[in-house]
Amino acid sequence: MQMPAKASDAAVLMRSVSKWYGQFQVLKDIDFDVAKGERVVICGPSGSGKSTLIRCLNRLEQYQSGQVVVDGIALTDDARSVDEVRREVGMVFQHFNLFPHLTILENCTLAPMSVRGFSRKAANETAMRYLSRVRISDHAHKYPSQISGGQQQRAAIARSLCMNPKVMLFDEPTSALDPEMVTEVLDTMVGLAEEGMTMICVTHEMGFARRVADRVIFMDRGQIVESAEPSVFFDAPKHARTRLFLSQILH
Amino acid sequence: MAFDFNVILDNWALFARGTWLTIVIAVAAVAAGFLISMPIALMALSHRRTLRWIATAYVEWFRNIPFIVVLYLFFYGLPFFNLRLPEAIVGTIALAFFASSYFAEIIRGAILAVPKGQMEAARAIGMSYFQGLWEIVAPQTVRLLVPPSTNTSISMVKETSVLSAITVAELTYQGLVVQGETFAPFEVFLTTAAVYWVVTAIFAHFMHRAERAFGAAQGAHQARSSLADKYLLIGARRPA
Ligand SMILES: Nc1ncnc2c1ncn2[C@@H]1O[C@H](COP(=O)(O)OP(=O)(O)OP(=O)(O)O)[C@@H](O)[C@H]1O
Ligand SMILES: [Mg+2]
Repeated sequence: MQMPAKASDAAVLMRSVSKWYGQFQVLKDIDFDVAKGERVVICGPSGSGKSTLIRCLNRLEQYQSGQVVVDGIALTDDARSVDEVRREVGMVFQHFNLFPHLTILENCTLAPMSVRGFSRKAANETAMRYLSRVRISDHAHKYPSQISGGQQQRAAIARSLCMNPKVMLFDEPTSALDPEMVTEVLDTMVGLAEEGMTMICVTHEMGFARRVADRVIFMDRGQIVESAEPSVFFDAPKHARTRLFLSQILH
Repeated sequence: MAFDFNVILDNWALFARGTWLTIVIAVAAVAAGFLISMPIALMALSHRRTLRWIATAYVEWFRNIPFIVVLYLFFYGLPFFNLRLPEAIVGTIALAFFASSYFAEIIRGAILAVPKGQMEAARAIGMSYFQGLWEIVAPQTVRLLVPPSTNTSISMVKETSVLSAITVAELTYQGLVVQGETFAPFEVFLTTAAVYWVVTAIFAHFMHRAERAFGAAQGAHQARSSLADKYLLIGARRPA
């Protein structure tokens, strides 16, 4: 079992986490650590449990056994620890999940105001700062359906950043996008990585993985099969299943 | 035999009082029924099996018995528990509970129609379940709620006539009174029918306007882009 040098260096600790849907075991005894500032890319075939794994980190999914610690806070059944963790963990979804009845700006200010207790003025300032950073401040007063998919995903990233999270989770953030919009979202994510954000990304964008990941993880049937830095992962994978998967997605 | 307008003219005050009481009871029962239905709908959507079971039993119970039987149960049941209330109040309470079972189903359906990702996104940025429900899910249900709620509300306006069975002096009861004094049932009940029609038509008109107002407010940004369409399709195909 790999342990980080100091517990305080770990942004995320998962210890023998298992999860079942009825008889079907989705996660099999997962041990998974992410250090502060580390960028981890998770890939693997459909149904291998990638989404389930990262959704356990902010308790969008329950698990039956094991332990999860995020930013030093142990996730327990206690609702308070769940709320505490969720405030520190941002999540970006495949389908953006922006709130369609609110403007982009309101999407970004709602949680800072209602959860963190920011004033509207402070929340607006923070939101505009992050919206400029993802280059959509011009669209702040539009509704989600009035902007493109790439812009919506960047808005969703800004919405998460407004809560000033310590860890960002991405679940296939570009796979619902038209091809010409993928780059703008990946560029935003690269920018975030360069600023030192701890990131866990489920993605099959291998160019992105090579460029920013400290570590690439391959999951299959509920297990972490391979975990290595990108150069090793792509050029000299140890496991046959990883090689097979890479040959399928790279060609 | 000619239509005798004097039957109406001589008794217009009774009809007016009956109509007013009908409107008051209908509005009160619909409003109270809607409030009662909210926790029922949430229970029906709960992860806890017992809560779901209670909600299902509640809805099935009220939906599968005629309103007049519900009314008698309240009318004779409340005194059984030493609760003595005026008939009009008992009738309004019975109708509110009856209506709530229908509203609960409407609300449950509307909440289910909001994509699951909306609540997940709300929870993921740290909002509580009730914050997510109130700030994110509820506003997106309004458009879906108005048309079926209009139908149910209009049904409830008509069901108020059943309260005549426990001597609540609403419109139908007043009709029966006038009929007993004048022996002109055709004039009386044609008039009663016309008044019900006018009341429900006015009601429907206002609900329709509310619906259009919501539609206009939301239409501005809910015109679906092709991408949003794709999103809905993908969302529909994904396993729950
Ligand atoms: N609510 C559920 N009930 C039952 N089974 C589920 C449920 N959610 C997911 N599963 C199953 O769990 C497995 C893992 O799902 P998960 O979404 O984590 O996979 P994934 O690796 O993210 O796949 P994809 O690349 O398709 O997103 C799949 O086989 C899926 O069918
Ligand atoms: Mg997935």
